[in-house]
Amino acid sequence: MLQGIKRIDTHEWEVPVGFVAGMRVPARFFLSELLGESLEPGAIQQLANVATMPGIIKNSLAMPDIHWGYGFPIGGVAAFDLTEGVISPGGVGFDINCGVRLLTTPLVKKDITGRHDLIETLFHGVPTGVGAKSALRVTGQELDTMMVKGARWAVEAGFGEQNDLVRCEEGGFMKEANPKEVSAKAKQRGIPQGGTLGSGNHFLELQVVSEIYDQTAANAFGLTKDQVCCMIHCGSRGLGHQVCTDHLKVLEGATRRYQIKLPDRQLACAPISSPEGRAYFGAMAASANYAWANRQLITHTTRQILKKMFSIDDKEMPLVYDVAHNVAKIEEHLVDGRKVKVCVHRKGATRSFGPHTADIPDKLSSVGQPVIIPGSMGTPSFVLRGTSKAMERTFGSTCHGAGRVMSRTQAKKKFSGKEVMAVLARQGIFVKAPNEAAIADEAPDVYKSSQEVVRVVHEVGLSLLVARLQPLGGIKG
Amino acid sequence: MSFIEVSHTADVKIRARAPTLETLFSDACDALMLVMYGSSRKGTIKKEITITSADIDSLLLDFLSEVLFVSEVEGMVFSKADVKIDGLNLHAELKGEPFTRKRHAKGTEVKGISYSGLSIRHDANGFMVDILFDV
Repeated sequence: MLQGIKRIDTHEWEVPVGFVAGMRVPARFFLSELLGESLEPGAIQQLANVATMPGIIKNSLAMPDIHWGYGFPIGGVAAFDLTEGVISPGGVGFDINCGVRLLTTPLVKKDITGRHDLIETLFHGVPTGVGAKSALRVTGQELDTMMVKGARWAVEAGFGEQNDLVRCEEGGFMKEANPKEVSAKAKQRGIPQGGTLGSGNHFLELQVVSEIYDQTAANAFGLTKDQVCCMIHCGSRGLGHQVCTDHLKVLEGATRRYQIKLPDRQLACAPISSPEGRAYFGAMAASANYAWANRQLITHTTRQILKKMFSIDDKEMPLVYDVAHNVAKIEEHLVDGRKVKVCVHRKGATRSFGPHTADIPDKLSSVGQPVIIPGSMGTPSFVLRGTSKAMERTFGSTCHGAGRVMSRTQAKKKFSGKEVMAVLARQGIFVKAPNEAAIADEAPDVYKSSQEVVRVVHEVGLSLLVARLQPLGGIKG
Repeated sequence: MSFIEVSHTADVKIRARAPTLETLFSDACDALMLVMYGSSRKGTIKKEITITSADIDSLLLDFLSEVLFVSEVEGMVFSKADVKIDGLNLHAELKGEPFTRKRHAKGTEVKGISYSGLSIRHDANGFMVDILFDV
């Protein structure tokens, strides 16, 4: 491991105060030695930088998929006191509420083996990639409603069912949303993009449950071996991106006005209780709601396609759960033995609420919140469950995915889209994307092992394995 | 055109070098368009952008953010930017064409331009900057 880092436990490390000037608390991260081989010094620097921010509670944290981002590291978690602390768009990211959801189906693997026509139909049915526009036309008024009601707007408009809201983080919408703090520019970008997938690491993937680790939890979540599932990974599209850009600019100025000293400009922030802080939070929540509406629209499109091709009913394709992994939330946590409301930032990290915590569905209360961890094309995804250990150690947080080890430049030099597709095809996996570079960028080897990342969170106890899902094919932007 | 892509694990980092500040901005715009749409871009339509910022680094970030915005909402792909800077005021004449899937779907969406590490440097060889695009 890097110099200056202290080992606390098998998979737990500490970056002590003083590693970077101005740290208020130590930083802690969870990582195996194997994953440590690809740990970038820049990521630890960023983790330590977050520890300098005013009002940070206990530790600046990072999950085992930690990698170098901008401002906060990817995989970063930090909680701030509501009175003394700050809120920072860099702790959420440009893609507000980039998140992931999982649907089950009554189909089994052999039902879709070789069904490239299904992948083609999904590719043409779900607008994907640069320049893609939605078939849905919403008015400005409807967009405002989307930003207030989130997935609930979509369900009420006929694009889903009540259970989709029950099985969604926050019930599919944050009540703190304030569309008035979303600029006209952001709204302009949001209007044509409802129900679009985007690009980069966004995808819609068909998977099969290949292994059950926890039968009780799997039963509660509705997962069975050999079952075909559909995983959808995307965020708030141009609307969220613009909200981040707009508010970063405001908060840059606010940082200076409130005389907050920061080691990195991308950590621009303001006191949570300040007008600027509240404005960002309201706009961020509105964007998060737009993302939930977006994932709900894509869910509906997917269900209609599967319904038509396989003669199955919507009710046979229930949602297991939907989680956000780029978001800031006001949550209640135990701090020094007292229940306190704090502002938790998760930048490439997933909520992992333990059994009997508020905001997890009643039927899942004894098991804990489902945690969906996407792999990449050709590597497994996982379903886990949240734990009380996560509540104690990481403000109820866990990893969000695998994390990259290779840049896009390197990936494009090393792999050709055609070769990657051929390798995947030999494994029976068919992928469709708007261009070959999109496939090369996301080749399985560019990611840390998702299996290793979830092994660490399982062994530490931040979330516990429930099932493994193998990819069968999908679309990406 | 004078920029290279520098290694960054999660995103796209560009290092641009130019003899003047204005060509640096112009090259940065070209880099953004290349990442988003690929290299096949024509300049049949004109578009103007005027902005003011608090400092020169912010001027670059704001300029690129505005190009990103205009490109997306107007469905325009830009091939060239003629940039004029007067203090902290920028006026740019962009040339481009409408987005078509056939020729412009070779890139990847850019979610935003990051402040992280963005610092325009000036020495005897000219101007240089590293810019991070969140993809």
